[in-house]
Amino acid sequence: MNTVGTAPALERSEGVWHAAWRRFKGDRLGMVSMAIVLAFLLLIAAAAVGLVARHWQQEVGVPNAPPTLLGPAPPEATGAIEQPKGPNVDISDIDPLAPKYKEWAERAKQYQTADTVKAETLPLGGDRLGRDVLSKAIKGTQISVFVGVLAAVMATLIGTVLGALAGFFGGKVGDFLEWLYNVFTAIPDILLIFAFAAVFGRGIGTVVVILGLVGWTSLYRQVRAEFIKHRTREYVRAAEAIGASTSSRMFRHILPNVSHVILVRMSLMVVGFIKSEVILSYLGLGVPVDQVSWGTMLADAQGELILGYWWQLAAATAFMATFLIAFSLAADAWRDALDPKLRGIE
Amino acid sequence: MTTTTPLLSIQDLKVAFRMGQRGGIVQRAEAVGRGAVGVSFDVAENQTVALVGESGSGKSVTAMSIVNLLPDNAERSGKVLWRGNDLLQADRAHLRALRGREIACVFQDPMSSLNPVFSVGQQLIEPLVTHLGLKPKAALARAEQLLVEVGIPEPGRRLKAYPHELSGGQQQRVMIAMALACEPKLLIADEPTTALDVTIQRQIIELLAKLKAKHGLSVLFISHDLALVGEIADQVVVMRQGTVREQGPVAQIFNDPQDAYTRALLACRPSLGEHNPARLMVIDDHIAGRGAQGTAKAKNPDSPVVLEVKALAKSFWLKEGLFGKREFKAVRDVNFRLRRGHTLGVVGESGSGKTTMGLTLLRLHEPTQGEVRFDGKDLLTLRDAERQVMRRRIQIVFQNPYASLNPRFTIGQTLVEPMTIHGIGGDLAEREQRARELLGKVGLDDRAFGKYPHEFSGGQRQRIAIARCLTLNPEVLVLDEAVSALDVSVQAQVLNLLRDLQDELGLAYIFISHDLAVVRFISDEVLVMKDGEVVEQAGAETILRAPQQDYTRKLIGAVPRGWQSSVA
Amino acid sequence: MAAYVIRRLWQMVPTLFGVVLLVFVLFKFFGGDPAEILGGLNATPQQVDAIREQLGLNKPWWVQLGIFLKQIATFDWGKSWATQEAVSNLFATRLPATLTVMTPILLLDTLLAIPVALGVAYVRGSLTDRALTIVTTVALSISFLVYVIIGQYVFGFQLGWFPVQGWSDSTWTNLVTYVPLPLLLAVAVGVSPQIRLYRSFFLDELGQDYVRTARAKGLGEGPVLFKHVLRNAMIPILTNVGLALPGIFVGSFLIEVFFSIPGLGREVLLAVNRSDYPVIQAVTVYLAMLTMLINLATDLLYKAVDPRVILK
Repeated sequence: MNTVGTAPALERSEGVWHAAWRRFKGDRLGMVSMAIVLAFLLLIAAAAVGLVARHWQQEVGVPNAPPTLLGPAPPEATGAIEQPKGPNVDISDIDPLAPKYKEWAERAKQYQTADTVKAETLPLGGDRLGRDVLSKAIKGTQISVFVGVLAAVMATLIGTVLGALAGFFGGKVGDFLEWLYNVFTAIPDILLIFAFAAVFGRGIGTVVVILGLVGWTSLYRQVRAEFIKHRTREYVRAAEAIGASTSSRMFRHILPNVSHVILVRMSLMVVGFIKSEVILSYLGLGVPVDQVSWGTMLADAQGELILGYWWQLAAATAFMATFLIAFSLAADAWRDALDPKLRGIE
Repeated sequence: MTTTTPLLSIQDLKVAFRMGQRGGIVQRAEAVGRGAVGVSFDVAENQTVALVGESGSGKSVTAMSIVNLLPDNAERSGKVLWRGNDLLQADRAHLRALRGREIACVFQDPMSSLNPVFSVGQQLIEPLVTHLGLKPKAALARAEQLLVEVGIPEPGRRLKAYPHELSGGQQQRVMIAMALACEPKLLIADEPTTALDVTIQRQIIELLAKLKAKHGLSVLFISHDLALVGEIADQVVVMRQGTVREQGPVAQIFNDPQDAYTRALLACRPSLGEHNPARLMVIDDHIAGRGAQGTAKAKNPDSPVVLEVKALAKSFWLKEGLFGKREFKAVRDVNFRLRRGHTLGVVGESGSGKTTMGLTLLRLHEPTQGEVRFDGKDLLTLRDAERQVMRRRIQIVFQNPYASLNPRFTIGQTLVEPMTIHGIGGDLAEREQRARELLGKVGLDDRAFGKYPHEFSGGQRQRIAIARCLTLNPEVLVLDEAVSALDVSVQAQVLNLLRDLQDELGLAYIFISHDLAVVRFISDEVLVMKDGEVVEQAGAETILRAPQQDYTRKLIGAVPRGWQSSVA
Repeated sequence: MAAYVIRRLWQMVPTLFGVVLLVFVLFKFFGGDPAEILGGLNATPQQVDAIREQLGLNKPWWVQLGIFLKQIATFDWGKSWATQEAVSNLFATRLPATLTVMTPILLLDTLLAIPVALGVAYVRGSLTDRALTIVTTVALSISFLVYVIIGQYVFGFQLGWFPVQGWSDSTWTNLVTYVPLPLLLAVAVGVSPQIRLYRSFFLDELGQDYVRTARAKGLGEGPVLFKHVLRNAMIPILTNVGLALPGIFVGSFLIEVFFSIPGLGREVLLAVNRSDYPVIQAVTVYLAMLTMLINLATDLLYKAVDPRVILK
C-alpha cells in the first residue's frame, strides 16, 4: 500500500477502521465487553506460559472439597469401632514376630513422611479427585478458547481463499470448488465431525483440524458471493482498464472491501467452535484425558451433580458463559461500528 | 385567481429525521425546510402541480409526508390541509382511510414497488376490497376494466401474471391502475418515469394526461427533469436544499424566471433547440450574472483518425433447455472511425448494446468478432505485454460515481496506482506530484489527495475518475453514461470540463448515453443503436435536423421539450 | 419441471461420487487397519492376515473402491464390527426413534419462532429488541450440555415431572412420556436464535418498496405485516427450514446419549468410540444422499413460494 507523499501539512482522512474504532468507543456495552474479553485473553496468556494454574493436576484438596464460601464438608459419619481399654489377650508367646516389635518401632521413627495436608475447602471447590476447580477452570479456558480461535482461523483461511478463487474466476475453477463445497455440505456437519474423529482420534491439534475442515463451508459461500458481486463493480472494472493484474484486483482491491464480512463471520465461528469443542470433549472425542477443557469439566460434573456437588458445573459454566457473552456482545458492537450503511461507502 | 379552497394546501411544512443520540443531544437531519423557513404551496382541483428539484432538494420527502409514508424516525411540523382538514393532526385510522381512496401514489421504481409474490390481480383488488368493500369477484372484474383503461393488452391474462413477467412500462401502468382504482382526487407521482426509457416515458406521460382529463384528477408530479415538467404541469414549484426557491404558473417559470437557481436550472440543460452552446451555463454563472457562452466551434474534419472499428460484434451464451445453449447477440456489426479531438456519440435505450460495445472496445468484454485498430494495430488480437501498453491509449469513465472508485483507497492511491503499473514517472514523489496536478486540472483541491471517496459528491467523484484516466495520457476516452447519474447542474459542470479537456489535450471521446440532448451537445458524429445494431449514423446536426430512420425520429420525438407556448 | 428434476438428479451424481470418494479415502488412508480392529487385541498375526484377506484389503485400491461402490448400491454393508447386527438393519430400527424426538422439536421451534418474531417485528420497540438480543446471546453462550445436565437433574431427578431416561416400543408412549423433557430443553435453547433470525427476515422485508405501496393503498399495519411481509419472508424461512431438515436425521446425538434414546445419532457415536467403520461409512453416505434429495425437494418447493423462480 503506497503511503501518502512527503508533502507536509496534508492530513489523511480516517480510513474505515479508524472510523469504526471511533464509533465503537462510543458504545459503552461494547467497550465493557471488549475489556472482559481482553482480560480473559490475558488470563489465557498467563496460563499458557505457566504463570497461573500450572499445577491444576495436583490433588490439593480432599475429594469433592466444597468452595471456600460454603465451608468444609461435614465429616463423614464413620462407623467407629469401639476400642477396648487396655491390652486384650496376650499372644506374645506364640507370636513369632514378638521380639521384632521393639526394633520395628525404633526403625519406624526414622521414617520420613511428608505430611500433605489436603485442604478442606478450595476457592471454587474441588473435583472428585480433589483437584482445584479454579485452576482447572482457568486452564480449561486456555484450552477451549485456544482450540476455538485456532480452528476459526484455519476455517477462515480455507474459506476465504477458496471463496475468492471461486467467486472471482468462476468457470472451471468455480465449478470444481462448487463440487467440493457440495460434497462437504452434503454430509451433515456433526456426522462429518464424527467421521473425522473416528479416523483421526483425539487430541487438541486433531480437534482444531477437524473443526477447521468442517467449518470452512459457510464462509466460503459468503466470500464467493461477495467476490461475484464485486468483480463486476465499476471500481474493479476500472482497475482492469488501467491494467491491474488479477492478483492485484483480487487481493488489493476486492479483499479489503470484503474484510468486514469475513471478520464478522469469523467471530461467529469462534463462538460456535468453542461450543463444539466443549461437546466433543464431553463425548470423549476431543481433548485427551490428560488435558482439561470446559468440556471435560462438564463431563465430570454430570456425575457429581447427582451426589450434590455442583461447583465444578457452576465454575465451568460461569467461565464459559462470561467469555462467550462478552465475546458475542463485543463482536456485535464491532459489527455495528463497521456497518457500511452508516459509513455511506457501499 | 380563484377563491375556492384549494384541494391540498401545504403551509410552512418542515420535516426532519431523528438520527440518534450523541452526547445526550438528539441529532436531526433537516430534509424539508431549513431553520425557520418551511415549504408552502397549494394544489387546486383539476390541476397538475410539479415539484422540481435536484437530489437533496426535499421534493420526495415533501410529497411522502402528505399522507405520512415516511420512516418511523421522521418528525413533521406545519400544516397539511386536505380539503380544510389538517392531516398532520389526523390519527392513523383517518390517514388509512384517505390513502388509496382520496390520495393515491405512484412511485419511481415499479419493479420493486409491486409485491413480487402476489399476482397483478391480487394486488389490484386490494384497494377496492379495503375501501369500497367489493367482493373479490366484483373487484377482479373492475380490475380488468382498470387494466384496459391504462392500456394493457390482454387484461384478463395479465391479471394472473406476476410483476416480474411484465415490462417496466407495463408495471408502471399497473401501478397507475392501482392508484386510480378508487377514483382519488389527488395522484402523487414520485418520479414515475425516471426509471423508464424515453420512448416509454412519452407513453406514460400521455396516459397520465388522458386519465387526468377523464377523471378530473389533480396531480402532484415530482421530477428532476424541467423539460418534462414543462410539458405537463400547470403550476411549477422549484425546490432546492429543502426550501422553495420559486413557484408559479408554468409559462411564467419558463419565460420569466425570477430566481437565479431557476434560471440556472433552465439554462444549464442541453437541449435539442436551434442553438448548441460551446459551454453550458452553470449555477455560479447565473448567480454571477454572466451571459450565455457563444456557439460551439466546428471541428477540423481532417484530423488524423486515431481509432478505427470494423465489424465489431459481441455475443453472450445463455443456458437453455436440458443441455443447450442460446446465443444472445448484444452487439452486431459496429463500424466507425474516430478522429483526434472529435467526439462520437452513441445513443440508444436500455438493451441497445451501447454499453457492451464500449466495454468491448477496452476488452473488458472479449469480443466475438471484429477489429479495433489503433495506429494500424488491432487491439483485439494483442497479447499481454503489448496489450498492457495499448491500455494506456484508451481509457474509460463509468456511469456510477459511487462504485467506480475503490472505497478503501484514498484518492491519492487511486491516482498513483495506474502510474505505478505502467511505470510512468520515475519514483513515488514524481507520481504524487503528477496526481496533484491532475486533481487541479479537473478542478479539485489538492487536499483531496488524502481523502476517501465517500467524502465527495457524485460530480466530484466523476472528476476524480476522469483524472485517473488522464494519468495514463490516453488518446481516446470512452464515457459510458458518465453524466447520467448526476444532477443537471453538476452534469453541466462535468460536460464543460470534458469540453475543456478535449480542447486542451486533443482527446477523442466516445460518449455513450441514453440522453439525446446531452449527446447532441458534446458530439460531432452520432451513432444510434437499437437491439445491438446501428440504426443510423451521421453527423450530430444532420441526425437532429434530418433523421432518416423511423426509430431515430421516434427517439427525437420522445425527448421532452419543456414548456412550449400554445400560441400558434 | 420433469426436465429440471432429471437434470438435478444428474447433477447429484458427481457430488455423490465425491462423498463416496471422501469417505473411502478418509477411512482407507487415515483410519486404522480394519483387520486389526476386527481381530481385536488378542489376535495373532496369522488371524489378522486371514481377516485382511477375507476383507479383500490386499487388493489394489481401485478394486476396493469398486467393492465399496457395490456395497452402497446394493445396501449391503455386511455386519457391524461391534454388534454383528446387519448394518442395513440399523436404519430401520434406529431411525424411528430419532425422528420421534427430532420432528416435534423442529416443528415446535419453527411454529413458535414465526409468531413471536412477527410480534417483535410488529412492535419494533427498542426495548423488545434489546431484550431479545440479550436473551439470545445468553442462551447461546451456555452450552447445551449444561441445559441438559441441569434440566435432567431438576425436572427429572428432583421434581420428578419427567422420567430421567427411557424409551419404549410404542410411539405414543414415547411422545407422551419420554419426548417432553428433551423437547422442552431443545426448544428452550434453540428458539431464541430462531426468533432473532426470523425477526431479521421480517425487518428486511419491512424496508422494501412494496411495503410502502401497500401502505399507500390504505392497508393497515396488520395486513401489511401478516399478508405482504409474511408471504415474502416465507422464502428465506423456507431456506432456513430446508437447511435444518437434514440435521434432524442424525438428530441431537447429545439428547439421545443423555436420555438413552436408541436413535441414529447415538448409534453413530457408539460406532465412533468402537471404531466400527462400516456403520459410520454407511450412515455418512446414505445421509449425504438424503441431504441432496431434501435440497432438491426444497428447491422444488421454492417454485410454490416464489413465483420469480424459474426452474431451468
